[in-house]
Amino acid sequence: MNSLVDRFSTTSAQSEIRRAQALAADDEEFSDAAWGSEAGFGSLAKGVPTFSVPSIADPSAFLRLHTDDHADPNCRIKIQHGTTTLAFRFKGGVIVAVDSRATAGSYIASGTVKKVIEINPYLLGTMAGGAADCQYWETYLGIHCRLHELRNRERISVSAASKYLSNLVYGYKGMGLSMGTMICGWDKTRCRVPAVFYVDSDGTRLKGDLFSVGSGSTHAYVSTAAGHRDAFSGNTCNLYHIKEDGWHFIGNYDISKMHYDGPGDVPGGPGKGYGYDIRVEGRSSANPPPVAT
Amino acid sequence: MFLTRSEYDRGVNTFSPEGRLFQVEYAMEAIKLGSTTVGIRTPNGVVLAVEKRVHSPLLESSSIEKIMEIDVHLGCAMSGLTADARTMIDHARVTAQNHSFTYDEKIKVESVAQAVCDLALRFGESVHDEEAMMSRPFGVALLIAGIDELGPQLYHTDPSGTSIKYDAKAIGSGSEAAQSELQDKWHKQMTLQEAQILTLRVLKQVMEEKLDQHNVQVAQVTAEKGFEILDETSLKSVIELM
Amino acid sequence: MQHVAVPHAQPQQRQFNPYSENGGTILAIAGANFSVIAGDTRQSEGYSIQTRYAPKVFRLTDKAVLATNGFAADGNMFVKKVRQRLEWYRHAHAKDMPLRAIARLIQTMLYARRFFPYYVYNILGGIEEDGSGAVYSFDPVGSYEREACRAAGAASSLVQPFLDNQIYFKNQTPAPGTTHPAHLPLSHVLSLVIDSFTSATERHIEVGDGLEIYVVLAKGSALQGLDAIQGLSELTTTDDGERMFVIRRNLKRD
Repeated sequence: MNSLVDRFSTTSAQSEIRRAQALAADDEEFSDAAWGSEAGFGSLAKGVPTFSVPSIADPSAFLRLHTDDHADPNCRIKIQHGTTTLAFRFKGGVIVAVDSRATAGSYIASGTVKKVIEINPYLLGTMAGGAADCQYWETYLGIHCRLHELRNRERISVSAASKYLSNLVYGYKGMGLSMGTMICGWDKTRCRVPAVFYVDSDGTRLKGDLFSVGSGSTHAYVSTAAGHRDAFSGNTCNLYHIKEDGWHFIGNYDISKMHYDGPGDVPGGPGKGYGYDIRVEGRSSANPPPVAT
Repeated sequence: MFLTRSEYDRGVNTFSPEGRLFQVEYAMEAIKLGSTTVGIRTPNGVVLAVEKRVHSPLLESSSIEKIMEIDVHLGCAMSGLTADARTMIDHARVTAQNHSFTYDEKIKVESVAQAVCDLALRFGESVHDEEAMMSRPFGVALLIAGIDELGPQLYHTDPSGTSIKYDAKAIGSGSEAAQSELQDKWHKQMTLQEAQILTLRVLKQVMEEKLDQHNVQVAQVTAEKGFEILDETSLKSVIELM
Repeated sequence: MQHVAVPHAQPQQRQFNPYSENGGTILAIAGANFSVIAGDTRQSEGYSIQTRYAPKVFRLTDKAVLATNGFAADGNMFVKKVRQRLEWYRHAHAKDMPLRAIARLIQTMLYARRFFPYYVYNILGGIEEDGSGAVYSFDPVGSYEREACRAAGAASSLVQPFLDNQIYFKNQTPAPGTTHPAHLPLSHVLSLVIDSFTSATERHIEVGDGLEIYVVLAKGSALQGLDAIQGLSELTTTDDGERMFVIRRNLKRD
């Protein structure tokens, strides 16, 4: 009770400081941008958007307590998470494939999530980890790539774009962001090759030919079985191909159907799946194996 | 009693007794020294044209940049101290991108013009206890062309932070002659090509040198292709049509 | 101020917990030229009902409706701030904010509190610029998606599977020679909404008391049988724009 009184009393010095902090935070939340113009100079006025943080000793512990459903499934604020994503580089460009499931705790919050974020016509980002973190920062990356293009009259390279994102999220390290993404594209101006970069919220940034991110990633490295083996992945699969002229959406495929019946009319695919019949054939009298001839 | 004019024109934040801000007025004079810039609005798009002063044969004329892109649907031409315009255009670009980040839509032409004017008015101003970021008014005027849900539009902004919508507008050293020519020749149902030709005719009248594809620059904003600067070959074909 | 030494018998732990959970459920369904946004009106904390009428669905503009669920105080504050931003936008840009712009704005507003989240699940419904009905759903920190239908809140795990089956036709095979319709008619959608809430009231203690259903009709579309519904009142303010209605009904109060 004492702490409560102290927090809201108007006389103690501490509460004065807190009030000032709150006022300052309020001031920032609605910057001049809300009025249509920031009238700042050069780069986005303050550089990055401002965030309100609770005025307590350890804000990140507070956030963990209320939102981290991996450590504590009973935490109140269930945030949507995405899971299996994979991308690889080959001579014809980059292939990006993702599932479409978002989970909030053990609840399947959505089965129709777009985990490929179209940063611009020639850059794609994938979403694994916090859905909002990926959506927000990759959209934010998009406007900076556009500004780079306007200022330098040249497209940003995949390397530079991924570095920009990695530096951005590194600034929030330890505060609770969760993001594992692949930035994929085809460099037009310098090296003229397809490129894939892995960037995550720890600050890791890796260049590579093949990455798979998310809880289903270990399965995804092996095959497209991730949707079948990992409960946090599933529903449908979105497929993209990045060519020299930008990205193309190939299609949306049902994962269960693909597992049992095969991918169907995907160009170059095996056509057959891991059907139920193949595995139970000959195990019951109702379904005898074919007679040897 | 009253200070003389020469004393009132020192500070950017002191009105003269007649209610004038001399530094702002002088900034407007700086534009009249600049190269002539013309903009015309048609039902199909907006055309911008500028004169490039190539005062030396050793000068690479393609490096003179007086028309710049703000976003796919927005372009801008300048006259006056072009260095000042870079700050303003960067601000316009950032505002346009910020808008599309926050609202997932293209910014309106009027809003961009307004944002540029907000910046133009921040001379001599200091926030909290900081030093003022800008010591003098900008010495540049802009013609902002763009297309949004209200159709093609042309705005003129000046150092006093005023933005006004025009059907056709000329700024810079030859602006008076050019503006009266525009007033005679502009009509509502102009085609884009007629507008291109008219901008060049107007420029030709006020230019000292003979007009060719190296000493003018033309750009347009259309609904189909957005902002584009005409390359030398298409510029040449417009000049031939004149 | 006097300082009195308080003897501590045991180690103490203090936590900053500004959140509460106020129950209730919200739901929205988009049709071809309409959008339906609904919520119950019970507000509870634990096993006690705080009030039987606390609206969770709010009209934002002539064509946008926002439903909030989770912690009521955060929800009410959030709606207030969204309305403030809509007003500012109107002054700055001389037009009403389009629906997809409101959706993006809500994302940025929620994400601005990434480190001190609003404990609110939002569903935005209304009419897009092209005249189609739309529903956007959000998580508490701003990830969002346009969908055909969405349920959130206490009984979402009861209602959403029902909607998946009835609206997306999940696990239903169409009769031979037929296909599932892409959009359902308004009268059908309204009966699905009412059934969802009466059923949720039967099986969830935090749902009940009253039901508020907002209906937004695209410009120039017919009433589609809406006038026959009981408890209907019209909220439309303009003659030539979208039309907005609210249907107020009772749910069981036990």
